[in-house]
Amino acid sequence: MLGRFRYGYVAPAALLVAGLLYAPFVWTAYLSLTRYDGLAPAEWVGPANFVKLLDDPVLLTSVRNTLIWVIGTMVLPVGLGLLVAVLSYDIKGGGWYRLPFMLPYALSGAGLALVWSPILSHDGVANNLLGVDTAFLQEAPHNTIAMLLVWTWQQLGVNTLLFVVGLQSIPKEPIEAARLDGASGWQLFRHIIWPLMRPLTAVVVGLALVASLKTFDIVWVLTQGGPGRNSETLAVTMYKETFVASDYGYGSAVAVVLTVVTGLASYLYLRRQVR
Amino acid sequence: MIRRAVLIVLGLIWLGPTYLLLVNASRPADSYDPSRAWAPPGDFSLVTNFLRALDSADLGASLGSTALYSVVSPALGVLVGALAGYTIVVLRLRHGFWWFLLIFGGTVFPAQMLLVPLFVGYSDAGLYDSRLGMILIYTAINVPLAAFVLRNFYTGVAFSIFEAARMDGASTFRIFWRIYLPLSTSALAAVFILEFTFIWNDLIFGLTLTQTAEVRPVMTALAGLMTDVYAGTPVPVGLAAGLVVSLPTVVLFLATQRLFARGLSLGSV
Repeated sequence: MLGRFRYGYVAPAALLVAGLLYAPFVWTAYLSLTRYDGLAPAEWVGPANFVKLLDDPVLLTSVRNTLIWVIGTMVLPVGLGLLVAVLSYDIKGGGWYRLPFMLPYALSGAGLALVWSPILSHDGVANNLLGVDTAFLQEAPHNTIAMLLVWTWQQLGVNTLLFVVGLQSIPKEPIEAARLDGASGWQLFRHIIWPLMRPLTAVVVGLALVASLKTFDIVWVLTQGGPGRNSETLAVTMYKETFVASDYGYGSAVAVVLTVVTGLASYLYLRRQVR
Repeated sequence: MIRRAVLIVLGLIWLGPTYLLLVNASRPADSYDPSRAWAPPGDFSLVTNFLRALDSADLGASLGSTALYSVVSPALGVLVGALAGYTIVVLRLRHGFWWFLLIFGGTVFPAQMLLVPLFVGYSDAGLYDSRLGMILIYTAINVPLAAFVLRNFYTGVAFSIFEAARMDGASTFRIFWRIYLPLSTSALAAVFILEFTFIWNDLIFGLTLTQTAEVRPVMTALAGLMTDVYAGTPVPVGLAAGLVVSLPTVVLFLATQRLFARGLSLGSV
């Protein structure tokens, strides 16, 4: 009696997701076990692509860079974001103090590159300002770290915002009580505020973890993974193997690795949080 | 006092690149000099610079396409997702939780896992380099989050509202359209804003699935302009393009920070 069209109502969502997300997913998983150039039919090769991955120096570099991205993201955009949030959430005019950090967030990866490439270039602002002559985007792992700083410039704001929303919604009573008992500064933060904001921290760290594992845009627009493929991340390696080298099977294998790593990290992380 | 001092120092560092962007995007295209990048611009040439970028990189067509994608796809995605959430929660779809898992499960795949089949499949189906193809994939990507947020939202709505409307003889779709959808405006808006920003800033689907300037989203076109920044496009022109193209998301984000943050933290659980 409750609507004969119930399946009709859920169908558009199910079909879009199944057709454009699940089906490609399964197809990529299959392609990772084939040799395929996009033209000739895919040829089954079993796990050969994954065996090749194991001693591919490019993959090793890209795993290392991806790790730098993950760890760096936790320390810089997330850690510094927390600092700015804690410093500003309960002072008067906090929103104005946070505005400088909010502005860059709405820039896209491409916009980010337009802003920073003249700063980081050989005769650019950074070199002039520091009075040095560094090739920021040339040598590894400096280029990844330089891009990580650019990333921090952009991402700090959103993390701060999430932390502030959380900090302002935690109950006031325990904090007041602790203040009356003489707690302040670091002690107050460490023993009262930090435990109260833990669920929120879990969300912010989880988001940053997954996003950093999939780092693509900023690397693509600033260095395209170069020079000599030394700043590639897993996501960039996948793109290059597939659409630059036309090795669809191998590219798909990289995509599978990226998916497994992302899935595993999310799972381990969520499990720890839920417990 | 120390708190404010730390915030001000950090804030000034953060404003540095923003300042450079504004100043140098407004500088006459041919007067950019890296060693004098901090100096105020002589004449205000932001508009001239942007028009030059529009012209040389055919950004106008891309801007139009991106505007289309980032409005139509989130709108469709939010509707489709809300309808699914409504069906699962309010109409008590049989095995509703499994339907929900199926739909929400779509969020776990990284874009990289979709690119090859989308590229090959779109080429075969004639969807490669078409606006329809772009709208389809952008919509599909929005659906899981929309379904998730709206399912949660509708769980909190009293079931008696539905029963009363049924008593009055309203059809299930009418109840969705006239009652549940308007009730959930804030949740819909949170998801819409998040997805609008995501699509406006998307690079990778545009890179993989489009080719011509008319179809190509603006960020992909802008990334293409990047290579030209080294190869002759003056820095102020590139900066002006980046600045103007980012304005919609900057304004939207600053105007709706709270809603935006809510959408983000809703979508991540």
